[in-house]
Amino acid sequence: MAYSEKVVDHYNNPRNVGSFAKDAPGVGTGLVGAPECGDVMKLQIKVNLQTGVIEDAKFKTFGCGSAIASSSLATEWLKGKTVDEAGKIKNTDIVNELKLPPVKIHCSVLAEDAIKAALADYKTKWIKEGAAAASST
Amino acid sequence: MDHFEVFGLPRRLAIDTAELQRRFYELSRRYHPDFHQAAPPEEQARALEASARLNAAYRALRDPIARVEYLVRLEEGRDTKEGATVKPKAPPELLEEMFEIQEALAEAKAGGLDEAGRAALVAQRDRLATRLRDEEARLVGPLSEQWDASRPAERQRALATIKESLAIRAYLRTVVDDLNDALGESQEGYVTNRRH
Repeated sequence: MAYSEKVVDHYNNPRNVGSFAKDAPGVGTGLVGAPECGDVMKLQIKVNLQTGVIEDAKFKTFGCGSAIASSSLATEWLKGKTVDEAGKIKNTDIVNELKLPPVKIHCSVLAEDAIKAALADYKTKWIKEGAAAASST
Repeated sequence: MDHFEVFGLPRRLAIDTAELQRRFYELSRRYHPDFHQAAPPEEQARALEASARLNAAYRALRDPIARVEYLVRLEEGRDTKEGATVKPKAPPELLEEMFEIQEALAEAKAGGLDEAGRAALVAQRDRLATRLRDEEARLVGPLSEQWDASRPAERQRALATIKESLAIRAYLRTVVDDLNDALGESQEGYVTNRRH
């Protein structure tokens, strides 16, 4: 299968590979998998608890080139966004940017699921503390 | 016409494969283009179509796991692995486990495998391969029987259990494939189901 240039670029030079400590302040972790192919993807965000802006994002994906590229792109897009803005990233945005063929759409869905899972984890862990910290300043 | 109907079978997972093969040969002869050479073109075309449909149906039904996968697609009304209406969820702790194995494997590969590291990977691969075989046995055994025995009201639940088991199988297969790759023991001619 021919990959688009952007997929190859993200695959060869993945951005933001790595991880944060799960319970570090402002960190939200999403771990998701694709039952179609057995790929697993971990995506983490680090949110500034004062501003609600995602300051950093990291991922580790064990899967095909498209899954790696989708999560790599997702981390790039997440940085600098607020938590609310991040929730609006759609898998179709990733499909369009990477020109994924129909058989690889589930990779972009996986990346969207990972973003959602990370945001949900962040909210459960930090939203109260975040609000408290913001109001106390 | 679905693949079960091609053989005149009900939508059940218990199939006598010897009987299925016998029916396949019988129908193959009936539709074989050689026997329709003198027939009008429309009839020849119909025979060819029936022959192609028969081959596809046999491929989908002869292997008990392929049969389960086909049943799930059929019940959900889709043609491919893509676009499952309800995504099967593997247990979260399985995902965690798979991720940790993959992470450790990546580190082991990066550091170069010594004798002990290799032995550890072999032992891990063997344990996971056993779990994979157990999951497949559960799928074609009790879970298939449960589907066949289920009343209409119980079907969705039986199907959900099957889908979860298929998801567990996919994760185990992937990690066993990756361990085999790392050990240089990928089987000849064996095509892994992903990573294209």
